[in-house]
Amino acid sequence: MMARAWLAFCALFIAAPIVVVCAAALNGGRSMLFPPQDPTLARFGEFFAGDPVWRTSLEASVVIALGSAALATLAAWPIAYGLWRSGDRWSRALAGLGGLPFILPPIVFGVGLGFLWSFFGALGSMAAGVLSHAALFLALPLATISVGLQAIDRAHLDAAATMGADARATFRTVILPQTIPYTVSGFFFAMVLSFNEFIVMFFVSASGFATVTLQIFNSLRNGFTPTMAVAAILFIAVSGLTFAAIARWGDLPRLMGADPARADD
Amino acid sequence: MSVAAAEAPPAAAALPAPRWGRLALTGLVALLCAAPFLLVLVISFGEKVEGGSWTWGLTLANYERFFLGHDWPNALSLVYPQRLWFSVWYAALGAAFALALAFPCAWAITRRSRRTQAAWLAFILASLSLSEVFVVMGWDVLLSRNSGLPAWLKALGVTDMLKDGGWFPLLIEWDLANPRDLKFKTSGFATLLAMTYIVFPYAVILLYPPLSRLDPSLAEAARTMGARPWKVMRTVVLPAVRLPLIGSALLLFVYLLGAYVAVTVFTPPEKQTLTVTIYDAVRGQTLDAPFGAAQSVVLLATAGLCLWAAARAGVRR
Amino acid sequence: MGALSLSGVSKSWGAVTAVSDLSLDFPEGQLTALLGPSGCGKTTLLRMIAGLEAPSRGRVLLDGADITDRPAHVRRFGMVFQSFALFPHLSVAENVAYALAIAGMARRDRLAKAEALLALVQLDGYGDRRIGQLSGGQRQRVAIARALAQEPSVFLLDEPMSALDAKLREEMQVELRLLQQKLRVTTIVVTHDQREAMTMADRIVVMNRGEIEQVGPPQEVYDRPATAFVAGFIGKANILHGEARGGAVAAHGALFHPERPAAFRDGSPVTLACRPEAVRLGRAAREGANQLAARVSFVRDVGPTREIFLDAGPATLTAELGAGEREPFSVGEPVFAELPPAALRLFPRAA
Repeated sequence: MMARAWLAFCALFIAAPIVVVCAAALNGGRSMLFPPQDPTLARFGEFFAGDPVWRTSLEASVVIALGSAALATLAAWPIAYGLWRSGDRWSRALAGLGGLPFILPPIVFGVGLGFLWSFFGALGSMAAGVLSHAALFLALPLATISVGLQAIDRAHLDAAATMGADARATFRTVILPQTIPYTVSGFFFAMVLSFNEFIVMFFVSASGFATVTLQIFNSLRNGFTPTMAVAAILFIAVSGLTFAAIARWGDLPRLMGADPARADD
Repeated sequence: MSVAAAEAPPAAAALPAPRWGRLALTGLVALLCAAPFLLVLVISFGEKVEGGSWTWGLTLANYERFFLGHDWPNALSLVYPQRLWFSVWYAALGAAFALALAFPCAWAITRRSRRTQAAWLAFILASLSLSEVFVVMGWDVLLSRNSGLPAWLKALGVTDMLKDGGWFPLLIEWDLANPRDLKFKTSGFATLLAMTYIVFPYAVILLYPPLSRLDPSLAEAARTMGARPWKVMRTVVLPAVRLPLIGSALLLFVYLLGAYVAVTVFTPPEKQTLTVTIYDAVRGQTLDAPFGAAQSVVLLATAGLCLWAAARAGVRR
Repeated sequence: MGALSLSGVSKSWGAVTAVSDLSLDFPEGQLTALLGPSGCGKTTLLRMIAGLEAPSRGRVLLDGADITDRPAHVRRFGMVFQSFALFPHLSVAENVAYALAIAGMARRDRLAKAEALLALVQLDGYGDRRIGQLSGGQRQRVAIARALAQEPSVFLLDEPMSALDAKLREEMQVELRLLQQKLRVTTIVVTHDQREAMTMADRIVVMNRGEIEQVGPPQEVYDRPATAFVAGFIGKANILHGEARGGAVAAHGALFHPERPAAFRDGSPVTLACRPEAVRLGRAAREGANQLAARVSFVRDVGPTREIFLDAGPATLTAELGAGEREPFSVGEPVFAELPPAALRLFPRAA
């Protein structure tokens, strides 16, 4: 009873600002009010068809999110595989290094990346943005793929071998299919977090491009406008749908570290 | 036979890994994940050049300026140590509040069915991934004077009640009111609220594995021996997850050390943290990259110290 | 095709030796059970035969050819794993057809063959199901069909019944034995269950601590255990420790004569074993030797037999009486236990 009440309270706490932002998008006037005044859907039209600044920043956000998530997943596979298969010092060091940007304060990583890209003269380029987020979120597919590989029963590998599968065939027919849900989950984790990331992009973009989060922050001091809330709704919807999909088709409790032995209860 | 199971079977041999592939991967990871931190460290010993640029160098001047002030040895200024203190203060409190909220929440989630758990986790993860920018935006509306909590409290008569009760001097001192009204924005309270909100989902996600792996029969055994729920929590559950709890606290703390948006929007200027001055030095008005780098190194060292302590605590387990 | 032999095979990890210097022949078409307690090295031995584990020393021969260095995927011995190791991402038919797919057989052909194999294990029509939809017994049949799909020269089973409940286990033992006799494939089953070994095997290899204790047909191993370990492990046995005295054994103040005088030096330590069902009980001492005064400590009826537990000074004995001789013995009653000469097995014992 107490537990339910507490869960409800936490849900309310989480939902409060989200609900407020969503509702604010309906404001008819220029200011963000809650509850909204003169509700209208005109802001949605403004966001997609009005000022091109929102559309270009949305494009930048999508390109960086998809590109960096794909790159991070591709790089994470061999690292996770090496860690699982041999677990030698090299693979462990590589995995540790790959997780570093995610656990240290992102602002320091952003400052460092800013130096790195200006060193190569690439500051403000889209490629730099993609690579930066790939590095920042490498830890996520690395973690999910590792969970997936560890979930493989070693007897399955033995069974494949006794049925004539060599290392390559085993990889193709047993390891890969069994880890695909985890790989996809890792990709989506990285994608959604990249989509929403602010501080590293803040240092890396210079004035070369702006993602939606940057765009919102830039207009922050001028006061919010309801159009920004439309962007927020879009982002919340993408995050919500992505994780709902992972929960539906992936094993979210296991990915998050629940005891696999109690999977059936 | 248990020995046999522990060994990697030679039959299911590893895929051949070409040497150049391995080297390329290592190079990429080193360049993207390690080099930025090294650059920050190296540049923190560099020197500022007039006009916003900088050169390589080997001076401790930036650190001296951080710890002792610009005008040392003529005058001692502790502006930056104070900023660091605010960083640590907000991060520690934010992490503590988030854990206090998240612990019962994570516990309650793990007691539900597997499907319900998945739904809750999806909800928590969606809010975890929500940009700091949107979180701040939402709370900004919620706390704003004309459309948020202050207006509602006034309409409900709470503001007048507090005024009559003589609470206002205290609230003004805490930046939570001006002489006429309650106001929450630019206050330590708003900063902490936003920070707590930002790491709350991380706290749930971090506490979920140890709590869900906790053997439910442990708590049941304690209950059959006559312990009340609260006592079970205190004597069985908390000791069992003490180390993950400490580890989570440190991770949240490190994450909050880097909070930027919440601080720029919600914190009174005189109480802002190191992240704001780092930005000002690297990109903003002051434009002194080596000094910004030195501040980053100090922040990094603080974070590193905490993570090292967390790792030690984990190893001892 | 399918005569397997091991010569001087050993396996050790550092200081731990799982199998030491073991030589053994597996005749073609026979079912051999590797029987022993857990940790005796039987699974390691099976994995070395499959090629999943490389022996530290020794050779593995198939029809006279040395296959020691052939990896598992070249040997292609069908194997049923303890956990069945069925692939959850494939359907039942795809699981069965896995080896054929790896070998490059066309999809239509291999699915037809999988259907035939499923019929062989009485699972016709189950091809499209997911593994998660099957019961334990059905999973085991799928695992057997899958291992047989490649028509292996040697068929290996690692504790195949341990995941099944007791009733199903007995049924599957019989079924597997019938299937093996039909296919005449050289089969090796690892088990720790002596009933299972005796139900299925042409020949039992009893292992202990990485070494062979005895090899022989089930009834022979049961009737004439070669060592005290085998006597205790296969079925139940009363074990008495004594010393040799003039062709007989002196133990617990009594003298026990075997059928034929034993060839032990007088005074050397000897272990004596006798099956509970051979022990005869009487209220009074009879003429002749081989008797021990005892007191009934516990009586239990287990269906067809009655077990009487006896206290004989420091030794304890069990007597198993058949349904025909249900004389009522009560707890605390003094009795005489007779161990008939024909039932006595004598083994040397380290001092």
